[in-house]
Amino acid sequence: MELIVQGISHRYGDIVALDGIDLEVREGETLALIGPSGCGKSTLLGIMGGILAPSAGSVLVRGAVPAGSLNPQTYIFQDFALLPWRTVEGNIALALEHHGLPAAECQARIADVLARTGLAEFRQAFPKQLSGGMRQRVGIARALAVKPAILLMDEPLSALDAQTRELLMEDFLALWLRERITAVYVTHNLQEALRLADRVCVLSRRPGRVREIVSIDMPQAERVTPAAQAHLAGLHDRLWRLIKAEAQVAEREVVDV
Amino acid sequence: MSEARPVTFRGGGFVVVPKKGAALVAFVGLIALWEVSVRFGWISPIFLPSPTSVVEAFWELAVSGTLWLHIGQSLKRLLGGWTLGTVGGLALGFAIGVWSLSRAVGLPLVSALFPIPKIALLPLLILWLGIGETSKVATIALGVFFPTVIATFSAIDGVPRNLIRMGQSFNLPAADVLRKIVLPGALPGILAGFRITASIGLILLVSAEMIGAEHGIGAFILQAGNLMQTDQLLAGVVMLSVLGLLIGTGLNRLERRLLRWR
Amino acid sequence: MILSRFAGLAALVALLALDASGAHAQQMQKVTVGLLKLSSSGAVMIAREKGYFREQGLDADLKFFTAAQQVPVAVTSGDADFGVTGLTAGFYNLAGRGALKIIGAQSREEKGYQLNAYMVTNKAAEGGFANLKDFAGKRLAITTTGSTFHYSIGILAAKYGFDVKSVTLVPLQSLPNMAAAFKGAQVDATIAPVTVARQLEAEGAGKIIGWVGDETPWQLGALFTSPKLITEKRATVEKFVRAYAKGARDYHLAFNARDKGQEVRGPGYDEAIALLAKSLEQPVERVRVGLPYVDPEARLNVGDVYNQVAFWQSVALVDRTVDAKAILDLSFVKGHFNLPK
Repeated sequence: MELIVQGISHRYGDIVALDGIDLEVREGETLALIGPSGCGKSTLLGIMGGILAPSAGSVLVRGAVPAGSLNPQTYIFQDFALLPWRTVEGNIALALEHHGLPAAECQARIADVLARTGLAEFRQAFPKQLSGGMRQRVGIARALAVKPAILLMDEPLSALDAQTRELLMEDFLALWLRERITAVYVTHNLQEALRLADRVCVLSRRPGRVREIVSIDMPQAERVTPAAQAHLAGLHDRLWRLIKAEAQVAEREVVDV
Repeated sequence: MSEARPVTFRGGGFVVVPKKGAALVAFVGLIALWEVSVRFGWISPIFLPSPTSVVEAFWELAVSGTLWLHIGQSLKRLLGGWTLGTVGGLALGFAIGVWSLSRAVGLPLVSALFPIPKIALLPLLILWLGIGETSKVATIALGVFFPTVIATFSAIDGVPRNLIRMGQSFNLPAADVLRKIVLPGALPGILAGFRITASIGLILLVSAEMIGAEHGIGAFILQAGNLMQTDQLLAGVVMLSVLGLLIGTGLNRLERRLLRWR
Repeated sequence: MILSRFAGLAALVALLALDASGAHAQQMQKVTVGLLKLSSSGAVMIAREKGYFREQGLDADLKFFTAAQQVPVAVTSGDADFGVTGLTAGFYNLAGRGALKIIGAQSREEKGYQLNAYMVTNKAAEGGFANLKDFAGKRLAITTTGSTFHYSIGILAAKYGFDVKSVTLVPLQSLPNMAAAFKGAQVDATIAPVTVARQLEAEGAGKIIGWVGDETPWQLGALFTSPKLITEKRATVEKFVRAYAKGARDYHLAFNARDKGQEVRGPGYDEAIALLAKSLEQPVERVRVGLPYVDPEARLNVGDVYNQVAFWQSVALVDRTVDAKAILDLSFVKGHFNLPK
């Protein structure tokens, strides 16, 4: 499925968070949204999935909903958003229960995503018993259980420590390459964007506008090879130059929202 | 090079360490001191009857069987009043917590009515509801209702919004968001409220049983006070605290069971 | 407000006393009296306002309480030297432990003095409850178990030969609660003080079918002190009783005069009623209603005190060990009557 963003603007009171955003997320690609803090990237993601109403503009989808998809636009949250009173299994079931699936199918879907995310043995555990990385795996499993057409990820790795992040990123990639789900990936981490994305959309800050869209013409699998490093370093510099000045302003700003 | 010196330890303390049995020893010690003070005449038994005479009064009640009558009647009123007040309080608390309109109307109403001392309303309650069980149960229910409302909507306010957004992002119907996310998320706060309202119910038992009660712990305490039977008065008070202790233990169990995930 | 009023008054009285007896006024002995703001304690208020305590060299400080049972407690704890209030089962339980001694009379229920009324609700009256003999099997609202109202029904039962245990007593802890239950016809009857009774009747909630004083005269209240004060400062107690009895005489002369059963204003009525209104902080019109009978010499109906103890013991509200003789000290007032053989 494709996602088309048309002329989205959004304001919080007097502050223009997003201003005339036009964007297309293509079938099967991973689009990274980067920008300095306060550029409205999370807001844009919320609007894309229909949990925030924009001040102006519209979001469209194109293409058929894949068979068995219960929730075409599905989020993965930065803070995991797991229900602490439900087990791993229960948290995944939450996304399925209200669809009236036969119990057997429910069980099958849960078993499938648990296996795919390596959580099978934690089925009965409560979130508080799990590490941050494991909790985000539950978040991913929950998202996969509804067979999404588009994954909307809001800094899914930023609450994790560096090592866990590396590990989970590799798992993400393995999943991507296999499933090829259309994905929007919000991050402030350039390495993550360069590792995972097909294209990187750089947003400017206040008002948030599309500054540039950078394509990474290199399959994700090849990006770890030594040969790729020079190319990626060049891209990194280019992206950094685009956001550095605004990041400096953002850093010195007193938070007032 | 100078000689190496050990680093002196300066941490420690300021940590709560469980001291088992300390409470029991203090409790027993206090009662022993009380008994001795009365026995040796340091305290006149007119002002403070000795623990043994309180136990005696208790024993007489138990043997004559009226003890169970008092406790049974009071428990019935407590249970009825508490349940009624809690169900009503949960309903309004939920409404205030979930819908902006009911919050706009309900919140000032609760603030205005909560501080009214229920005991001042007794004559009115008698006029409206008579002197039977209804007015006694209503006194307790009224006292329990408002704190339950407040505990409930505060608990709902405390449910993380991101969990609700998550539910919506998976297309959960509103009823499911309430049942599966808001209610369990508010449960710890609601249970904490139960602890308070159970105590309020016990306290109001005495007020409720001012309304022409023949039996009941509150009625017993009132009569003992009116008759200056201080040993019986204290026996009644002990009944109330034991009941409070039992209810507290029960709530602990319930909490451990329902909030296993914490 | 109250304090400043008292202070002013005390100063005035002190000045008068100084004028009358010179240096004597300087050795005033301070005594505290516990009482309720009711006209039944009028003798104390008159004695104080008229300087009778001063004459005896006593500086009497009146401590007002809001419930009858607080007064004996205050005397027991030493917060008050003397107490004047109604006699209840609670009083006897406290006195029985050696904490209190009755030394004189307060008010009493007396024929022709309308103090407390038996009232029946309209509903009960329609059902045929019109006579004082009909109390058996009925529901009677009282303030508390062991109260003066409770005793009143007890002696009524003895008079008319019904079993007091057959009357369902409904204790409601306060007069407003009692009135509310009566208005709502939640009970069949009540025994209410004259002001409450008149108001209930005026509101059409029920009707008065008799007066306690007419049916069963009894010793409603007493003057009491602690045994310790009697042994240690007997002279003080004697002085106090002298002044108190003088106040009681004034009260009796002013308020208790009757002509063919009709109330007549006795000598000193206007002054006494003004003094009471001031002490009670009530309008004169209100004070006029239901002034109880007070013995002019503070003499006790001793036999009734014995009877009270026996009654409370018969309904198991006062301990069996309490002995009426031990809680009475009849040496301060001459002429106590109805002495048991």
